[in-house]
Amino acid sequence: MSVFGLALLFWLAAWAVNAALARSRWRDASGVRVVVPVLFGAAILGLWEGAVRGFGVSPVILPAPSSVAARFAGETGLLWEDFLQTVLKGALSGYAIGCGAAFLVAVLIDRSRFLTRGLLPVGNFVAALPIVGIAPILVSWFGFDWQSKAAVVVVMVFFPVLVNTVQGLAEASAMQKDLMRTYAASYLQTLLKLRLPAAMPFVFNGLKIATTLALIGAIVAEYFGSPTRGMGFRISTGVGRLDIELVWAEIAVAALTGSAVFGLVSLVERWVTFWHPSQRS
Amino acid sequence: MKAFKVALMACVAGAGMARAEDVTLQLKWVTQAQFAGYYVALDQGFYDEEGLTVTIKPGGPDIAPEQVIAGGGADVIVDWMAAALAARERGLPLVNIAQPFKSGGLQLTCLKDTGIGSPEDFPGHTLGVWFYGNEYPFYAWMAKLGVPTEGGSDGVTVLKQAFNVDPLLQRQADCISVMTYNEYGQVLDAGITPEELVTFNYLQEGVGMMEDGLYVLEDRLSDPAFKETMVKFVRASMKGWKWAEANPDEAAAVIVDYDETGAQTLEHQQYMMSEVAKLTAGSNGALDPADYEETVATLLSAVSPENPAITKEPEGMAWTHDITDAALN
Repeated sequence: MSVFGLALLFWLAAWAVNAALARSRWRDASGVRVVVPVLFGAAILGLWEGAVRGFGVSPVILPAPSSVAARFAGETGLLWEDFLQTVLKGALSGYAIGCGAAFLVAVLIDRSRFLTRGLLPVGNFVAALPIVGIAPILVSWFGFDWQSKAAVVVVMVFFPVLVNTVQGLAEASAMQKDLMRTYAASYLQTLLKLRLPAAMPFVFNGLKIATTLALIGAIVAEYFGSPTRGMGFRISTGVGRLDIELVWAEIAVAALTGSAVFGLVSLVERWVTFWHPSQRS
Repeated sequence: MKAFKVALMACVAGAGMARAEDVTLQLKWVTQAQFAGYYVALDQGFYDEEGLTVTIKPGGPDIAPEQVIAGGGADVIVDWMAAALAARERGLPLVNIAQPFKSGGLQLTCLKDTGIGSPEDFPGHTLGVWFYGNEYPFYAWMAKLGVPTEGGSDGVTVLKQAFNVDPLLQRQADCISVMTYNEYGQVLDAGITPEELVTFNYLQEGVGMMEDGLYVLEDRLSDPAFKETMVKFVRASMKGWKWAEANPDEAAAVIVDYDETGAQTLEHQQYMMSEVAKLTAGSNGALDPADYEETVATLLSAVSPENPAITKEPEGMAWTHDITDAALN
C-alpha cells in the first residue's frame, strides 16, 4: 500500500511540475515542450507500477511496466523477428500495394463521371466489411504466410485511399481549371500541375488513416492462422500461455511502430503540402 | 421456462459470488458435448439437489480460463493439465480437484497420399497445430522424436491452425490437429474416408497429457465452506457425466438447448457425445496420480523456448484428492 502511496505522490509531484512549467514564461522553449509530455508519460507509468506492486495485482492480469521492460529487453531477437514478419512483410507490402493501386484507380476513374459518383457508396460498403469476416477467407485463399496478411491490408487500405483521392481530384475549382485551359494545357498537364497538387491534402488524409488500418489488419489477420512467428501470433498465443509480459512487449512494439509511421507520413505531408493553410503556422 | 432459466442465470451472474452456494464454472471452449456433464447436471437438477446455483460460462478462442479465474470471474474452471501447470509456474496456483476425462481426444490427422505413414515420415512436411496452451503435447512429441520445428528438409514446418479443418482440405497442411470428438468428425463430414487418413493419438504415442479437469485457486481451498461447495459441485457434475454417458442422445439434446449461439446441430452433438463418452468412461472423477506424473514427465522431457509450459517439477499442491474423496464416498 505504501508503494502505491509513493507512486501517487510521484504522480501529483509530476503534475505540479508540469502545471508550473506550462504557466511559466519558458513554456514555448523547445526543451520544455519535450519535458512536459515525457514527464506525463513517466507519471502514468509510475502510477501503473505503484498500483501493481502496491495492490499485489497478479502478473497474469496486469504485469508491472518494469517487468514488461525487462521482457522487452530480453526478447529483442524474438520481437525483431515478429516485426519483420508482421510490419515489414505483411503490413508494409500490403500498404504499398493497396495505396498504390487505390491512387492509380482513382486517377483512372476520375475521367468517368458515372464511376466517380457511384463509387462512394460502394467504397463505404467495402470499408464497413469486418476484418474478422474477410481475414479467414483471405487466409484460405493466399495461405498462412505473410501474403494473406498483405492481402487483408490491401482490402483494408484500398477504399479509404481511393475515396479520399477521388474527392481530392474534384477539389480544383472551375476557375482554376479554366485558367489551365486558357494556357492550352493538356489533360496530363492539368492533372500534374493543378489537380494532383490540389488533391494532396486529401490523399494524405487517406494515407494517414491507412497507416493505422494496415497495422491493425496485419496483426489481427494472424489470429486466423499463421506461421509460428509474427506479432499477432505472439499476442494471441501469449495470452493462452499466460505470457502476458510478452504480450505487452508486442503491444509496445505495435504502438511505437504505429506512432513512428504516422509521424513519418505526417512529415512527408508537411513537405508536400507546405502551401496548404493547415501546414502554415 | 427456458427463457426464465436464462434470465435467472443472468441474475445470478450479476449478483456475483454473494451467496456461498453460488458456483460459476468457466468452460475451456464453447457450449458443446465436450462439457455435457455440467449442462446435464444443470438441466436434470443435480446441482439443485445439492443446493447449488450454478452458472456455466461458455469459453471460446479468445477466452483463457486461467485468466478468468485469476480475475475472479469464475470459482472453478475446466482446463487442460499442461496449461494449468504452466499457469502454476507463472504464479497462478491452480489445483486439480477432479478429472472427469480419463483419456484424451487430441490427435494429429494426416492425409495418406502425402507419404506419411508413421512419425518417422514427418520431416519435410507441414503440420497444423493449435496454440492457446494446446501446443504443449505437440512440442513434447517433436522433442521426443528429435524433429526440429523450424522447417527445413529434416524438420517440420508448423502452422498455427485456426479451429477448423480447412488447412487439410485445402492441402495447406499435410497433417492437422483434431479432437476425436469434434474436428475428426468434420474431416469425415467433408467427404474424406478414414482409409485416406493416418491418425496419431498423442496418448498412444506416449506424450499424452490429461485433458479436461476441474481446477480451482489454491488459496480458496483453505476455506472449509468453499471446499464443501466444491464437494457438492463435483458430486453433482460427476452424476451429470454418468447420466450423459448412459443417455448420449438426450445429453446432446440438452447441449443444443443450452447453446445460446444456435451454432450447434443435434447430429454433430450426438456424434460428439458418443466420442466424449469414450474419454470419460474410465473416470469416476478422481485424478489418477500416475496420470499426473505422466503429464509432468512428458512436459519436463521437452523443455525448450517453443515449449515453455514448465521448466521444473510443479511446486506445492498441484492436485488434491480431498474433494473427490469426500464427494464420491
